[in-house]
Amino acid sequence: MPFQNEIKDNEIIVFADTSLFSKDSIFKCLYWYGDKFHTNVSFADSNTFRVSVKPISTNRLSQQEQENLLLKLERDLVDFNLRDIVTKETQNVRDLLIAKAFSNGEFDELPPGDVSDPVGFNVNQLKND
Amino acid sequence: MIDAKPDRKSRKFREIDQFDLNEKSQYYLLPFRFHRITDEKEIIVNEVGDYLTLSNGTFERIVKRQLDKEKDAELYGDLIANFFISEEPIPPLIDVLATRYRTKKLFLNYFTGLHIFVISLRCEHTCHYCQVSRVTQNRDLYDMSIANIDKGIEIMFKSPNPHVTMEFQGGEALLAFDNIKYAVEKAERIADEVGKGLTKVICTNLALINEEILEYCKEHEILISTSLDGPKYVHDKNRHKPHASSYELAIKGIELSRKILGHDRVSALMTTTKLSLAYPVEIIDEYFNLGFQGIFLRNISPYGFALRTDKSKYETEKFLTFYKKALDRILEYNFSGHYFTEDLAKIFLTKILTPFNVGFVDLQSPAGLINGVVVFNYDGGVYATDESRMLAEQKDYTFKLGTLDDSYNDLFFGKKAQEIAQLWANEALTGCSECAFQQYCGADPVHNHATQGDMYGFRPNSDFCQKNMEIIRYLIVLMESDNRIKKIFESWAKTATH
Repeated sequence: MPFQNEIKDNEIIVFADTSLFSKDSIFKCLYWYGDKFHTNVSFADSNTFRVSVKPISTNRLSQQEQENLLLKLERDLVDFNLRDIVTKETQNVRDLLIAKAFSNGEFDELPPGDVSDPVGFNVNQLKND
Repeated sequence: MIDAKPDRKSRKFREIDQFDLNEKSQYYLLPFRFHRITDEKEIIVNEVGDYLTLSNGTFERIVKRQLDKEKDAELYGDLIANFFISEEPIPPLIDVLATRYRTKKLFLNYFTGLHIFVISLRCEHTCHYCQVSRVTQNRDLYDMSIANIDKGIEIMFKSPNPHVTMEFQGGEALLAFDNIKYAVEKAERIADEVGKGLTKVICTNLALINEEILEYCKEHEILISTSLDGPKYVHDKNRHKPHASSYELAIKGIELSRKILGHDRVSALMTTTKLSLAYPVEIIDEYFNLGFQGIFLRNISPYGFALRTDKSKYETEKFLTFYKKALDRILEYNFSGHYFTEDLAKIFLTKILTPFNVGFVDLQSPAGLINGVVVFNYDGGVYATDESRMLAEQKDYTFKLGTLDDSYNDLFFGKKAQEIAQLWANEALTGCSECAFQQYCGADPVHNHATQGDMYGFRPNSDFCQKNMEIIRYLIVLMESDNRIKKIFESWAKTATH
């Protein structure tokens, strides 16, 4: 039976499929809740993260505040997962870019394609003449 | 022989199919970051600070490869042209992007430029938020000695930077004017010998300024930087001077300085206090009416005496409300044809709208401390920033790099500098590493330490993060919502890069 996101005893609980959400993205997301909430990540089962936040303050959240918080957490988890995809997919290009930026030109390459003049003159031929 | 091709439809441009090398909507992501800026809009910012604002949900579509090259032709083209996606695993123009990245980090090429000499800790003001000053006549204890001035100058000229700035601070720097003269003349001689550029600045409340001092400043091309917190009823309450009006002395000093040095040789800085928060419009009007071309809306520094007085405590939220009201007023002046800037916005806008960066100590990554600025304290201590020496007045020596007796290498590349360097790049800090505004912001280990107790900092309740994130977001939203504002902001950024 699939898990349902819920609000229970002043605690917001969200479930995330481990095949869709990375552990890194969940921790990065919860980092931003750490100033006002107790945060917890555990496994609901072998394929599901159980993510929960509970206010540090002893004041109970109103029903509306709890519902807004649930929505925010659900949205933030998706956002951070997408960010994590970009970060991981682009890590090599980013490393290459920064290495090139600070390399003083030793890794520079000529741009691909032939050098040509947009007006239509054959630049290579001009050079040879 | 020239080979012309008359069969072309246009001699100026190639056919469009020449540029479209990949018919499929198959693309690779390039490094970029994402943030929601309003309920309807999101922003993506690439590794060199170029941004695109998009309607909600677009970021998800980009990442999930749901863009269609034909149906989303304009967006697709923008993403390719601005290095957000590429049709090849490594973009053909990666060297262009690398050059742009290098340009953004150009400030690293020169190393320390600003050398602050705390020439005296003595002061005749008793400002309630002042971090360091002493009302005393004891010159021996609170003035920088000639020996320490000599050592400071020697270290300053060891900087690899081809142009160094020597800034005299206090206390009230003019209480030690003889020592300033000595330092200026010695530094000028050495600058000539070694062929370095030298800028000299005196930071003063102007209470002691007179024609003789200003004639000297004129002869030696010394800039004056003063403090003006707003109208008289704000300034005099913030900056208390026994038996006199600090405001009237400052205004008189500004007028005299402009008369002798020239209008643009005098700048003023304001500090926002709890009292100032009620007067955003009046403070802007004061600066405008005095003929300044801009204002730097600085929130009060969280150091030294400033934090300990309830009088100066206020929340970042209140500062942001104040900031936005003040910015509205500034924009009104611009709408009516005047050029008047807000200088914090100008720094952000230069980073957002131009290929360049700004060498502003608090908003750099790697941080400006040591890389851009160093402080020689009156007692011979060497500190990473001005704020670091203020912490030292509270017996917190975390950012003391050493003393003027230490070697250049020990001060600038020693154990302390290496320890700070672990945490001075926002690219590598939790919370900042995936922040969309990373390229526009900076790292400030001193601020983190002073306000949160450790250099690393905790972004969710950091006032530095809260303030910068909101101001950057607000500037972008303003630009995107009103083309007139965008043109004004572009003119601010344009002048900043000249």
